[in-house]
Amino acid sequence: MSSGFRAMHPAVALLYYGGLMLFAALLFHPLFLVTEIAGLAGLLLLQGQGRQLLRGLPFYLLMAGSVAVLNPLFSHRGAHILFYFWDQPVTLEAVLYGLMMMLVLLTIFIIFISYNYTVTTDKFMYLFAAAAPKTALLTLMALRFVPLFQRRLRQITLIQRLRGIDAGQGSLRKRMQDGMTLLKVLLTWSLEEALQTGDSMKARGYGIRKRSTYSIFKLDRLDKGILLVLTVSGLIPLLGWLQGYGILEIYPRMKPMEFGGGEVVMYISFCLFVLTPLGLEGKEKWLWRSSRQSAYPSVIPEKSGTRSMSSHSQ
Amino acid sequence: MARFRIPLIIAIVLFISGLALTAALKDRHYMLLSLVLLLAALLPVFIRLERRPLESRELVLLAVLSAIAAVSRIPFAALPSVKPVSAIVILSAYVFGAEAGFIIGAVAALVSNIYFGQGPWTPWQMFAWGMVGLSAGWLRNAWWMKKRSGMLIFGFVWGFLFGWIMNIWYIISLPDASSWGLVAAAYASSFYFDLAHALSNVFFLAILAGGWTKVLERFRKKYGLLQE
Repeated sequence: MSSGFRAMHPAVALLYYGGLMLFAALLFHPLFLVTEIAGLAGLLLLQGQGRQLLRGLPFYLLMAGSVAVLNPLFSHRGAHILFYFWDQPVTLEAVLYGLMMMLVLLTIFIIFISYNYTVTTDKFMYLFAAAAPKTALLTLMALRFVPLFQRRLRQITLIQRLRGIDAGQGSLRKRMQDGMTLLKVLLTWSLEEALQTGDSMKARGYGIRKRSTYSIFKLDRLDKGILLVLTVSGLIPLLGWLQGYGILEIYPRMKPMEFGGGEVVMYISFCLFVLTPLGLEGKEKWLWRSSRQSAYPSVIPEKSGTRSMSSHSQ
Repeated sequence: MARFRIPLIIAIVLFISGLALTAALKDRHYMLLSLVLLLAALLPVFIRLERRPLESRELVLLAVLSAIAAVSRIPFAALPSVKPVSAIVILSAYVFGAEAGFIIGAVAALVSNIYFGQGPWTPWQMFAWGMVGLSAGWLRNAWWMKKRSGMLIFGFVWGFLFGWIMNIWYIISLPDASSWGLVAAAYASSFYFDLAHALSNVFFLAILAGGWTKVLERFRKKYGLLQE
Protein backbone atom coordinates (compact mmCIF):
# COMPACT_ATOMS: atom_id res chain seq x y z
CA MET A 1 0.00 0.00 0.00
CA SER A 2 1.42 3.33 -0.89
CA SER A 3 0.01 6.71 -0.22
CA GLY A 4 1.26 10.05 0.97
CA PHE A 5 4.98 10.54 0.65
CA ARG A 6 5.56 7.06 -0.78
CA ALA A 7 3.25 7.80 -3.69
CA MET A 8 5.20 10.87 -4.77
CA HIS A 9 7.44 10.96 -7.83
CA PRO A 10 10.85 9.28 -7.21
CA ALA A 11 12.65 12.54 -7.93
CA VAL A 12 10.98 14.09 -4.89
CA ALA A 13 12.14 11.25 -2.66
CA LEU A 14 15.65 11.39 -4.10
CA LEU A 15 15.89 15.14 -3.52
CA TYR A 16 14.59 14.69 0.02
CA TYR A 17 16.98 11.93 1.03
CA GLY A 18 19.92 13.49 -0.81
CA GLY A 19 19.28 16.76 1.00
CA LEU A 20 18.99 15.00 4.35
CA MET A 21 22.31 13.23 3.75
CA LEU A 22 23.96 16.53 2.89
CA PHE A 23 22.58 18.20 6.01
CA ALA A 24 23.66 15.28 8.18
CA ALA A 25 27.18 15.49 6.81
CA LEU A 26 27.46 19.29 6.86
CA LEU A 27 25.36 20.89 9.58
CA PHE A 28 27.35 20.09 12.67
CA HIS A 29 24.89 21.33 15.22
CA PRO A 30 22.92 19.30 17.77
CA LEU A 31 19.65 21.16 17.20
CA PHE A 32 19.66 20.46 13.46
CA LEU A 33 20.64 16.83 13.90
CA VAL A 34 18.06 16.17 16.59
CA THR A 35 15.39 17.83 14.45
CA GLU A 36 16.35 15.60 11.55
CA ILE A 37 16.19 12.45 13.67
CA ALA A 38 12.87 13.47 15.18
CA GLY A 39 11.40 14.37 11.79
CA LEU A 40 12.39 11.07 10.24
CA ALA A 41 11.26 9.05 13.25
CA GLY A 42 7.91 10.85 13.04
CA LEU A 43 7.65 10.06 9.33
CA LEU A 44 8.44 6.38 9.97
CA LEU A 45 5.86 6.22 12.76
CA LEU A 46 3.20 7.85 10.57
CA GLN A 47 3.98 5.28 7.87
CA GLY A 48 3.53 2.49 10.41
CA GLN A 49 7.21 1.50 10.43
CA GLY A 50 7.82 1.82 14.16
CA ARG A 51 8.63 -1.88 14.48
CA GLN A 52 11.27 -1.63 11.73
CA LEU A 53 12.82 1.28 13.56
CA LEU A 54 12.95 -0.59 16.86
CA ARG A 55 14.44 -3.72 15.29
CA GLY A 56 17.55 -1.99 14.01
CA LEU A 57 17.97 0.23 17.04
CA PRO A 58 20.30 -1.91 19.21
CA PHE A 59 22.80 -2.37 16.39
CA TYR A 60 22.75 1.31 15.47
CA LEU A 61 23.06 2.44 19.08
CA LEU A 62 26.00 0.10 19.60
CA MET A 63 27.72 1.32 16.45
CA ALA A 64 27.14 5.01 17.13
CA GLY A 65 27.66 4.70 20.87
CA SER A 66 31.12 3.24 20.41
CA VAL A 67 32.12 6.39 18.52
CA ALA A 68 31.07 8.46 21.50
CA VAL A 69 33.22 6.30 23.76
CA LEU A 70 36.23 6.04 21.47
CA ASN A 71 36.66 9.73 20.74
CA PRO A 72 37.49 10.95 24.27
CA LEU A 73 39.81 7.99 24.74
CA PHE A 74 41.94 8.84 21.73
CA SER A 75 41.51 12.55 21.25
CA HIS A 76 43.03 14.75 23.92
CA ARG A 77 42.46 18.18 22.44
CA GLY A 78 40.46 20.76 24.30
CA ALA A 79 40.82 23.09 27.24
CA HIS A 80 38.53 21.62 29.90
CA ILE A 81 40.01 18.50 31.42
CA LEU A 82 37.39 16.42 33.17
CA PHE A 83 39.50 13.64 34.66
CA TYR A 84 42.42 11.37 33.91
CA PHE A 85 41.99 7.91 32.54
CA TRP A 86 45.13 5.76 32.49
CA ASP A 87 47.17 8.94 32.78
CA GLN A 88 45.47 10.37 29.71
CA PRO A 89 43.40 13.52 30.01
CA VAL A 90 39.73 13.17 29.08
CA THR A 91 38.51 16.55 27.93
CA LEU A 92 35.01 17.95 27.86
CA GLU A 93 35.48 18.92 24.22
CA ALA A 94 36.38 15.40 23.19
CA VAL A 95 33.35 13.97 25.01
CA LEU A 96 31.05 16.48 23.34
CA TYR A 97 32.59 15.85 19.93
CA GLY A 98 32.10 12.12 20.37
CA LEU A 99 28.46 12.68 21.28
CA MET A 100 28.01 14.90 18.22
CA MET A 101 29.51 12.25 15.96
CA MET A 102 27.16 9.75 17.56
CA LEU A 103 24.24 11.98 16.58
CA VAL A 104 25.59 12.27 13.02
CA LEU A 105 25.87 8.50 12.67
CA LEU A 106 22.40 7.95 14.15
CA THR A 107 21.00 10.48 11.70
CA ILE A 108 22.60 8.67 8.78
CA PHE A 109 21.29 5.32 9.98
CA ILE A 110 17.75 6.61 10.36
CA ILE A 111 17.93 8.25 6.93
CA PHE A 112 18.70 4.84 5.48
CA ILE A 113 15.88 3.10 7.37
CA SER A 114 13.43 5.60 5.95
CA TYR A 115 15.07 5.46 2.51
CA ASN A 116 14.80 1.67 2.37
CA TYR A 117 11.07 1.95 3.01
CA THR A 118 10.28 4.84 0.69
CA VAL A 119 12.59 4.44 -2.30
CA THR A 120 11.90 0.92 -3.48
CA THR A 121 14.22 -0.69 -6.01
CA ASP A 122 11.99 0.05 -8.99
CA LYS A 123 12.02 3.75 -8.15
CA PHE A 124 15.78 3.78 -7.79
CA MET A 125 16.15 1.99 -11.11
CA TYR A 126 13.70 4.35 -12.78
CA LEU A 127 15.90 7.27 -11.80
CA PHE A 128 19.11 5.72 -13.06
CA ALA A 129 17.91 3.70 -16.03
CA ALA A 130 18.18 6.67 -18.39
CA ALA A 131 21.59 7.79 -17.18
CA ALA A 132 23.21 4.35 -17.05
CA PRO A 133 21.07 1.88 -19.02
CA LYS A 134 23.51 -1.04 -19.03
CA THR A 135 24.33 -0.83 -15.35
CA ALA A 136 20.63 -0.54 -14.53
CA LEU A 137 19.77 -3.54 -16.69
CA LEU A 138 22.59 -5.56 -15.18
CA THR A 139 21.50 -4.74 -11.64
CA LEU A 140 17.85 -5.44 -12.36
CA MET A 141 18.65 -8.80 -13.93
CA ALA A 142 20.86 -9.76 -11.00
CA LEU A 143 18.08 -8.70 -8.66
CA ARG A 144 15.57 -10.83 -10.48
CA PHE A 145 17.92 -13.84 -10.49
CA VAL A 146 18.26 -13.89 -6.70
CA PRO A 147 14.83 -15.38 -5.87
CA LEU A 148 14.97 -17.55 -9.01
CA PHE A 149 18.29 -19.08 -7.99
CA GLN A 150 17.06 -19.69 -4.47
CA ARG A 151 14.12 -21.66 -5.86
CA ARG A 152 16.41 -23.54 -8.23
CA LEU A 153 18.83 -24.46 -5.49
CA ARG A 154 15.94 -25.93 -3.48
CA GLN A 155 14.85 -27.97 -6.50
CA ILE A 156 18.38 -29.21 -7.14
CA THR A 157 18.76 -30.19 -3.49
CA LEU A 158 15.53 -32.19 -3.59
CA ILE A 159 16.47 -34.05 -6.74
CA GLN A 160 20.10 -34.74 -5.87
CA ARG A 161 19.06 -36.10 -2.48
CA LEU A 162 17.59 -39.11 -4.29
CA ARG A 163 21.06 -39.83 -5.64
CA GLY A 164 22.48 -39.67 -2.14
CA ILE A 165 24.03 -36.26 -2.65
CA ASP A 166 23.03 -34.26 0.37
CA ALA A 167 24.93 -31.42 1.94
CA GLY A 168 23.20 -32.03 5.26
CA GLN A 169 24.39 -35.59 5.91
CA GLY A 170 27.56 -37.58 6.22
CA SER A 171 31.11 -36.70 7.13
CA LEU A 172 32.42 -33.18 6.74
CA ARG A 173 34.41 -34.10 3.67
CA LYS A 174 31.40 -35.64 1.94
CA ARG A 175 29.19 -32.71 2.87
CA MET A 176 31.66 -30.24 1.44
CA GLN A 177 31.92 -32.20 -1.79
CA ASP A 178 28.15 -32.52 -2.03
CA GLY A 179 27.65 -28.83 -1.39
CA MET A 180 30.07 -28.10 -4.20
CA THR A 181 28.21 -30.45 -6.53
CA LEU A 182 24.92 -28.68 -5.79
CA LEU A 183 26.43 -25.26 -6.44
CA LYS A 184 28.05 -26.47 -9.63
CA VAL A 185 24.74 -27.77 -10.93
CA LEU A 186 23.18 -24.40 -10.11
CA LEU A 187 25.98 -22.58 -11.92
CA THR A 188 25.86 -24.64 -15.10
CA TRP A 189 22.08 -24.69 -15.26
CA SER A 190 21.79 -20.95 -14.70
CA LEU A 191 24.59 -20.01 -17.06
CA GLU A 192 23.26 -22.20 -19.84
CA GLU A 193 19.79 -20.77 -19.49
CA ALA A 194 20.98 -17.20 -19.07
CA LEU A 195 22.98 -17.39 -22.28
CA GLN A 196 19.82 -18.45 -24.05
CA THR A 197 18.16 -15.38 -22.59
CA GLY A 198 21.01 -13.32 -23.94
CA ASP A 199 20.61 -14.79 -27.41
CA SER A 200 16.90 -14.19 -27.26
CA MET A 201 17.53 -10.56 -26.32
CA LYS A 202 19.85 -10.22 -29.27
CA ALA A 203 17.36 -11.81 -31.63
CA ARG A 204 14.80 -9.25 -30.54
CA GLY A 205 17.17 -6.42 -31.33
CA TYR A 206 18.88 -5.57 -28.07
CA GLY A 207 21.83 -3.25 -28.65
CA ILE A 208 20.85 -2.11 -32.13
CA ARG A 209 20.17 1.41 -31.04
CA LYS A 210 19.93 3.40 -27.88
CA ARG A 211 17.68 1.81 -25.35
CA SER A 212 14.43 3.62 -24.82
CA THR A 213 13.08 3.83 -21.32
CA TYR A 214 9.54 3.44 -20.22
CA SER A 215 8.63 5.95 -17.60
CA ILE A 216 5.95 4.79 -15.27
CA PHE A 217 5.99 7.85 -13.05
CA LYS A 218 4.65 11.22 -14.03
CA LEU A 219 5.42 14.55 -12.47
CA ASP A 220 2.09 16.10 -11.57
CA ARG A 221 1.45 19.52 -10.13
CA LEU A 222 1.79 18.48 -6.53
CA ASP A 223 5.14 16.81 -7.29
CA LYS A 224 6.45 19.93 -9.01
CA GLY A 225 5.27 22.13 -6.16
CA ILE A 226 6.92 19.92 -3.56
CA LEU A 227 10.13 19.79 -5.61
CA LEU A 228 10.17 23.58 -5.64
CA VAL A 229 9.49 23.83 -1.91
CA LEU A 230 12.20 21.31 -1.10
CA THR A 231 14.76 22.95 -3.38
CA VAL A 232 14.22 26.44 -1.99
CA SER A 233 13.97 25.41 1.63
CA GLY A 234 16.99 23.17 1.20
CA LEU A 235 19.19 25.80 -0.40
CA ILE A 236 18.71 28.34 2.39
CA PRO A 237 20.40 26.23 5.10
CA LEU A 238 23.20 25.34 2.68
CA LEU A 239 23.80 29.02 1.91
CA GLY A 240 23.73 29.74 5.62
CA TRP A 241 26.24 26.97 6.17
CA LEU A 242 28.56 28.48 3.56
CA GLN A 243 28.31 31.77 5.48
CA GLY A 244 29.42 29.96 8.60
CA TYR A 245 26.13 29.62 10.45
CA GLY A 246 24.83 26.47 12.02
CA ILE A 247 28.12 24.98 13.11
CA LEU A 248 28.99 24.19 16.65
CA GLU A 249 32.65 24.84 17.17
CA ILE A 250 34.08 22.42 19.68
CA TYR A 251 37.76 22.18 18.85
CA PRO A 252 40.18 23.62 19.81
CA ARG A 253 38.09 25.40 22.40
CA MET A 254 34.39 25.13 22.86
CA LYS A 255 32.47 28.21 21.90
CA PRO A 256 29.10 29.08 23.36
CA MET A 257 26.24 28.26 21.05
CA GLU A 258 25.04 31.35 19.28
CA PHE A 259 21.56 31.52 18.01
CA GLY A 260 21.17 34.77 16.14
CA GLY A 261 18.95 35.91 13.28
CA GLY A 262 20.84 33.94 10.64
CA GLU A 263 20.44 30.73 12.57
CA VAL A 264 16.74 31.31 13.11
CA VAL A 265 16.05 31.80 9.38
CA MET A 266 18.17 28.78 8.62
CA TYR A 267 16.44 26.63 11.19
CA ILE A 268 12.95 27.57 10.04
CA SER A 269 13.82 26.77 6.46
CA PHE A 270 15.47 23.54 7.55
CA CYS A 271 12.35 22.53 9.49
CA LEU A 272 10.24 23.19 6.40
CA PHE A 273 12.50 20.87 4.40
CA VAL A 274 12.53 18.08 6.96
CA LEU A 275 8.85 18.22 7.85
CA THR A 276 7.30 18.54 4.35
CA PRO A 277 6.87 14.74 3.88
CA LEU A 278 5.38 14.54 7.34
CA GLY A 279 2.82 17.10 6.26
CA LEU A 280 1.98 15.09 3.14
CA GLU A 281 1.67 11.90 5.13
CA GLY A 282 -0.38 13.57 7.83
CA LYS A 283 -2.72 15.15 5.28
CA GLU A 284 -3.36 11.73 3.78
CA LYS A 285 -4.13 10.27 7.20
CA TRP A 286 -6.45 13.13 8.02
CA LEU A 287 -8.32 12.89 4.70
CA TRP A 288 -8.77 9.17 5.20
CA ARG A 289 -10.18 9.64 8.65
CA SER A 290 -12.50 12.45 7.77
CA SER A 291 -13.73 10.79 4.55
CA ARG A 292 -14.99 7.68 6.26
CA GLN A 293 -18.38 8.93 7.26
CA SER A 294 -19.69 11.66 5.07
CA ALA A 295 -17.46 12.64 2.16
CA TYR A 296 -18.42 9.83 -0.22
CA PRO A 297 -22.10 9.04 0.25
CA SER A 298 -23.18 5.64 -0.96
CA VAL A 299 -25.08 5.40 -4.26
CA ILE A 300 -27.59 3.03 -2.75
CA PRO A 301 -30.12 5.18 -0.97
CA GLU A 302 -30.04 4.62 2.71
CA LYS A 303 -33.32 3.59 4.11
CA SER A 304 -34.29 5.69 6.96
CA GLY A 305 -36.58 4.81 9.75
CA THR A 306 -37.41 1.22 10.51
CA ARG A 307 -35.35 -1.75 9.30
CA SER A 308 -37.65 -2.86 6.52
CA MET A 309 -35.95 -6.19 5.67
CA SER A 310 -36.11 -7.63 9.10
CA SER A 311 -39.53 -6.30 9.79
CA HIS A 312 -40.79 -7.85 6.54
CA SER A 313 -39.61 -11.31 7.44
CA GLN A 314 -41.30 -11.26 10.74
CA MET B 1 13.45 16.31 -18.75
CA ALA B 2 15.51 13.50 -20.26
CA ARG B 3 17.51 15.95 -22.35
CA PHE B 4 18.70 17.83 -19.32
CA ARG B 5 19.45 14.74 -17.30
CA ILE B 6 23.16 14.44 -17.93
CA PRO B 7 24.00 18.15 -17.49
CA LEU B 8 21.85 18.09 -14.37
CA ILE B 9 23.73 15.10 -12.96
CA ILE B 10 27.09 16.73 -13.71
CA ALA B 11 25.99 19.96 -12.05
CA ILE B 12 24.78 18.12 -8.93
CA VAL B 13 27.99 16.09 -8.73
CA LEU B 14 30.13 19.22 -8.99
CA PHE B 15 28.00 20.99 -6.41
CA ILE B 16 28.24 18.17 -3.89
CA SER B 17 31.96 17.66 -4.38
CA GLY B 18 32.46 21.40 -3.87
CA LEU B 19 30.52 21.23 -0.61
CA ALA B 20 32.45 18.14 0.44
CA LEU B 21 35.76 19.82 -0.18
CA THR B 22 34.70 22.92 1.75
CA ALA B 23 33.54 20.79 4.66
CA ALA B 24 36.81 18.90 4.75
CA LEU B 25 38.98 22.00 4.59
CA LYS B 26 36.90 24.24 6.82
CA ASP B 27 35.65 21.97 9.55
CA ARG B 28 37.83 18.90 9.13
CA HIS B 29 34.64 16.97 8.51
CA TYR B 30 35.59 14.22 6.11
CA MET B 31 32.46 12.11 5.89
CA LEU B 32 31.04 13.68 2.77
CA LEU B 33 34.40 13.91 1.04
CA SER B 34 35.06 10.22 1.61
CA LEU B 35 31.73 9.33 0.00
CA VAL B 36 32.40 11.55 -3.01
CA LEU B 37 35.86 10.07 -3.50
CA LEU B 38 34.47 6.57 -3.18
CA LEU B 39 31.86 7.17 -5.84
CA ALA B 40 34.56 8.72 -8.02
CA ALA B 41 36.54 5.50 -7.63
CA LEU B 42 33.55 3.38 -8.66
CA LEU B 43 32.67 5.56 -11.62
CA PRO B 44 35.40 4.82 -14.22
CA VAL B 45 34.67 1.10 -14.46
CA PHE B 46 30.94 1.69 -14.77
CA ILE B 47 31.47 4.39 -17.39
CA ARG B 48 33.57 1.93 -19.37
CA LEU B 49 30.83 -0.64 -19.02
CA GLU B 50 28.34 1.84 -20.46
CA ARG B 51 30.59 2.82 -23.33
CA ARG B 52 32.06 -0.38 -24.64
CA PRO B 53 30.07 -2.50 -27.06
CA LEU B 54 28.82 -5.35 -24.95
CA GLU B 55 27.12 -8.48 -26.22
CA SER B 56 23.83 -9.26 -24.53
CA ARG B 57 25.32 -12.65 -23.63
CA GLU B 58 28.13 -11.00 -21.73
CA LEU B 59 25.74 -8.71 -19.89
CA VAL B 60 23.63 -11.69 -18.85
CA LEU B 61 26.73 -13.59 -17.79
CA LEU B 62 27.80 -10.75 -15.51
CA ALA B 63 24.28 -10.62 -14.06
CA VAL B 64 24.26 -14.38 -13.36
CA LEU B 65 27.62 -14.34 -11.61
CA SER B 66 26.68 -11.29 -9.51
CA ALA B 67 23.39 -12.91 -8.58
CA ILE B 68 25.06 -16.18 -7.57
CA ALA B 69 27.50 -14.23 -5.43
CA ALA B 70 24.59 -12.35 -3.84
CA VAL B 71 22.54 -15.53 -3.28
CA SER B 72 25.49 -17.24 -1.64
CA ARG B 73 25.42 -14.59 1.09
CA ILE B 74 21.87 -15.41 2.16
CA PRO B 75 22.30 -18.89 3.78
CA PHE B 76 25.17 -17.52 5.88
CA ALA B 77 23.37 -14.35 6.96
CA ALA B 78 23.34 -15.48 10.59
CA LEU B 79 27.13 -15.83 10.76
CA PRO B 80 28.87 -12.46 10.67
CA SER B 81 31.77 -12.19 8.21
CA VAL B 82 31.22 -15.60 6.66
CA LYS B 83 30.54 -14.54 3.10
CA PRO B 84 31.24 -16.77 0.10
CA VAL B 85 30.90 -13.61 -2.03
CA SER B 86 34.63 -12.92 -1.97
CA ALA B 87 35.50 -16.43 -3.11
CA ILE B 88 33.01 -16.32 -5.98
CA VAL B 89 34.21 -12.87 -7.05
CA ILE B 90 37.83 -14.04 -7.01
CA LEU B 91 37.07 -17.09 -9.14
CA SER B 92 34.99 -15.11 -11.64
CA ALA B 93 37.69 -12.48 -11.97
CA TYR B 94 40.29 -15.21 -12.36
CA VAL B 95 38.48 -16.46 -15.44
CA PHE B 96 36.93 -13.33 -16.92
CA GLY B 97 39.44 -10.63 -16.04
CA ALA B 98 39.79 -7.56 -13.85
CA GLU B 99 37.03 -5.38 -15.20
CA ALA B 100 34.39 -8.11 -15.10
CA GLY B 101 35.57 -8.97 -11.60
CA PHE B 102 35.12 -5.41 -10.41
CA ILE B 103 31.62 -5.19 -11.83
CA ILE B 104 30.58 -8.56 -10.43
CA GLY B 105 31.85 -7.62 -6.97
CA ALA B 106 30.24 -4.19 -6.94
CA VAL B 107 26.87 -5.37 -8.30
CA ALA B 108 26.84 -8.34 -5.91
CA ALA B 109 27.29 -5.94 -2.99
CA LEU B 110 24.55 -3.61 -4.22
CA VAL B 111 22.08 -6.42 -4.94
CA SER B 112 22.66 -8.41 -1.77
CA ASN B 113 22.23 -5.22 0.26
CA ILE B 114 18.79 -4.78 -1.25
CA TYR B 115 17.93 -7.92 0.72
CA PHE B 116 20.09 -7.15 3.76
CA GLY B 117 19.32 -3.42 3.92
CA GLN B 118 21.20 -0.53 2.41
CA GLY B 119 23.27 1.63 4.68
CA PRO B 120 26.26 3.95 4.68
CA TRP B 121 28.35 0.80 4.25
CA THR B 122 26.92 -0.04 0.80
CA PRO B 123 29.34 2.08 -1.29
CA TRP B 124 32.25 0.84 0.81
CA GLN B 125 31.25 -2.78 0.28
CA MET B 126 30.79 -2.13 -3.42
CA PHE B 127 34.26 -0.66 -3.52
CA ALA B 128 35.86 -3.39 -1.41
CA TRP B 129 34.38 -6.31 -3.34
CA GLY B 130 35.05 -4.49 -6.59
CA MET B 131 38.70 -4.24 -5.59
CA VAL B 132 38.74 -7.94 -4.70
CA GLY B 133 37.67 -8.69 -8.25
CA LEU B 134 39.96 -6.11 -9.82
CA SER B 135 43.08 -7.34 -8.04
CA ALA B 136 42.25 -10.99 -8.70
CA GLY B 137 41.86 -10.16 -12.39
CA TRP B 138 45.13 -8.27 -12.52
CA LEU B 139 47.06 -11.03 -10.84
CA ARG B 140 45.47 -13.92 -12.68
CA ASN B 141 48.51 -14.47 -14.86
CA ALA B 142 50.97 -14.45 -11.99
CA TRP B 143 52.61 -17.83 -11.52
CA TRP B 144 51.56 -18.19 -7.89
CA MET B 145 47.92 -17.39 -8.63
CA LYS B 146 47.69 -20.38 -10.92
CA LYS B 147 48.60 -22.62 -8.02
CA ARG B 148 45.94 -23.71 -5.60
CA SER B 149 47.88 -22.62 -2.53
CA GLY B 150 48.64 -19.22 -4.08
CA MET B 151 44.97 -18.54 -4.64
CA LEU B 152 44.10 -19.65 -1.12
CA ILE B 153 46.68 -17.24 0.32
CA PHE B 154 45.29 -14.49 -1.90
CA GLY B 155 41.81 -15.15 -0.50
CA PHE B 156 43.14 -15.16 3.04
CA VAL B 157 44.87 -11.79 2.60
CA TRP B 158 41.76 -10.26 1.08
CA GLY B 159 39.72 -11.40 4.06
CA PHE B 160 41.76 -8.98 6.16
CA LEU B 161 42.03 -6.24 3.54
CA PHE B 162 38.26 -6.26 3.15
CA GLY B 163 37.75 -5.73 6.86
CA TRP B 164 40.35 -2.96 6.89
CA ILE B 165 38.66 -1.11 4.05
CA MET B 166 35.34 -1.44 5.85
CA ASN B 167 36.89 0.01 9.01
CA ILE B 168 37.80 3.23 7.23
CA TRP B 169 34.29 4.66 7.07
CA TYR B 170 34.07 4.24 10.77
CA ILE B 171 37.45 5.76 11.62
CA ILE B 172 36.91 8.68 9.29
CA SER B 173 34.10 9.98 11.49
CA LEU B 174 36.61 10.80 14.22
CA PRO B 175 39.11 13.14 12.55
CA ASP B 176 40.66 14.39 15.76
CA ALA B 177 41.15 11.00 17.26
CA SER B 178 42.63 9.38 14.20
CA SER B 179 45.90 8.60 15.86
CA TRP B 180 47.62 5.27 15.40
CA GLY B 181 46.08 4.31 18.70
CA LEU B 182 42.54 4.57 17.36
CA VAL B 183 43.46 2.78 14.16
CA ALA B 184 45.06 -0.01 16.16
CA ALA B 185 42.04 -0.24 18.47
CA ALA B 186 39.57 -0.36 15.59
CA TYR B 187 41.59 -2.98 13.74
CA ALA B 188 42.14 -5.02 16.85
CA SER B 189 38.43 -5.04 17.61
CA SER B 190 37.63 -6.22 14.11
CA PHE B 191 40.41 -8.83 14.13
CA TYR B 192 38.22 -11.83 14.85
CA PHE B 193 35.67 -10.83 12.23
CA ASP B 194 38.43 -10.36 9.67
CA LEU B 195 39.96 -13.66 10.63
CA ALA B 196 36.60 -15.39 10.22
CA HIS B 197 36.22 -13.79 6.80
CA ALA B 198 39.75 -14.80 5.78
CA LEU B 199 39.30 -18.39 6.93
CA SER B 200 35.91 -18.68 5.26
CA ASN B 201 37.49 -17.36 2.05
CA VAL B 202 40.10 -20.09 2.20
CA PHE B 203 37.41 -22.66 2.93
CA PHE B 204 35.15 -21.63 0.07
CA LEU B 205 38.02 -21.22 -2.37
CA ALA B 206 39.28 -24.67 -1.43
CA ILE B 207 35.84 -26.14 -2.11
CA LEU B 208 35.09 -24.24 -5.28
CA ALA B 209 38.43 -23.57 -6.96
CA GLY B 210 38.94 -26.54 -9.28
CA GLY B 211 35.37 -27.21 -10.33
CA TRP B 212 34.22 -23.65 -10.82
CA THR B 213 37.14 -22.44 -12.85
CA LYS B 214 36.69 -25.45 -15.11
CA VAL B 215 33.00 -24.71 -15.66
CA LEU B 216 33.59 -21.01 -16.20
CA GLU B 217 36.52 -21.59 -18.56
CA ARG B 218 34.39 -23.95 -20.58
CA PHE B 219 31.57 -21.43 -20.90
CA ARG B 220 34.03 -18.76 -21.84
CA LYS B 221 35.52 -20.87 -24.58
CA LYS B 222 32.26 -22.32 -25.86
CA TYR B 223 30.47 -19.00 -26.23
CA GLY B 224 33.49 -16.76 -26.78
CA LEU B 225 32.60 -14.52 -23.84
CA LEU B 226 34.61 -11.50 -22.68
CA GLN B 227 37.68 -12.39 -24.67
CA GLU B 228 40.24 -9.66 -24.45
